[in-house]
Amino acid sequence: MKFILNYIRKEEWSPYVAGTLLGLVGVFAVWASNSLLGASGSFENLAGMIGKAIAPKAFDNMYFNFIMPPGITYGVILLIGLFFGGMAGAATSGTLKWGKKDSANSDTQWKQIFGPQTWKRWLIAFIGAIVLEYAAGIAGGCTSGLAISGGMLLAPSAFIFIGGMFASGIVTALIVYRNRY
Amino acid sequence: MANYIIALVLGVLFGFSLNKAGLTKYHKIVNVFRFTDMAVLKFMMTALVVAMSGLYALRGLGLVTFPAAPATYLVGNLVGGLIFGIGMSLSGYCPGTCAAGAGEGKMDYIVPGLLGFLTGAVIYGLTYQLVFPAISAIANYGSVVIPDLWNLSSFLTVVTFALMALFLFYMIDRAGWQRKDSIQ
Repeated sequence: MKFILNYIRKEEWSPYVAGTLLGLVGVFAVWASNSLLGASGSFENLAGMIGKAIAPKAFDNMYFNFIMPPGITYGVILLIGLFFGGMAGAATSGTLKWGKKDSANSDTQWKQIFGPQTWKRWLIAFIGAIVLEYAAGIAGGCTSGLAISGGMLLAPSAFIFIGGMFASGIVTALIVYRNRY
Repeated sequence: MANYIIALVLGVLFGFSLNKAGLTKYHKIVNVFRFTDMAVLKFMMTALVVAMSGLYALRGLGLVTFPAAPATYLVGNLVGGLIFGIGMSLSGYCPGTCAAGAGEGKMDYIVPGLLGFLTGAVIYGLTYQLVFPAISAIANYGSVVIPDLWNLSSFLTVVTFALMALFLFYMIDRAGWQRKDSIQ
């Protein structure tokens, strides 16, 4: 018992232990609600909701009416759960960043490559996030909704996506890190 | 309502595992692409092996039916993956890890992260008609899984996948596929 509690308090688990937990969560999702894990689609539901409140005309299209209807869907609740799950994980290891000085730009490797400026981190991260969400739309899901959820069902789409993701991820890292790669 | 509670519990456990695996850290994700820390790949492959073994076993016993698998349309899946990798390598996020990292209180996940995903979602939703119908029409196999597509035994497919994953773990750890980090 003490061993388990101590393990939960560790900041970083063995990837095999954490991966087993995620695998069981994936099985539980299918068993308990016949659904798959996902995250990128939930941002579409939220975006539609905000968009329809601000500019109902512009968001009155096929996509936001039928493909990804706005609202607090199952996926949005899952996304809220992700938020609190991350919080719980950091809380158990005492690594919460709320209100900490370095919370705006916390990664040392980032600072070594790009410098300590917060605006740079935020600008590149913002562009990266837009690219990620758009790509997830084209591919039909993100790392959770397509790679993990599709892969565990043995859907070919998941493995094609993972292959593409690694290929361009490696090339991008080569360019970004150049001689420090 | 019950479904919402399940979604919340699943989300919390999912986010917890992402945090403990270190995926809510920029360097953990980027270093997979640099071959200096393969933990994220091990984490993903372990999750896949555990989940697919459990799911195919439960289906064999008649205890679950599968939800529709994410559709396969070769060009769209590949192009989406290729663009996705660029975003991942630049930001160190995926949509799920960004939500979990935001919960940890990291401002660079809360502000540019969540806002960026919402912005991307708006842009995608407004341009959907121009992009998706065309790209998803090419080589579209619909919602299909490999054992059905190629008429394989699902048991043998899962076992083969698990053995491939074990071989990959062995190659990373023993054969030194993991480089020494040049940035310290």
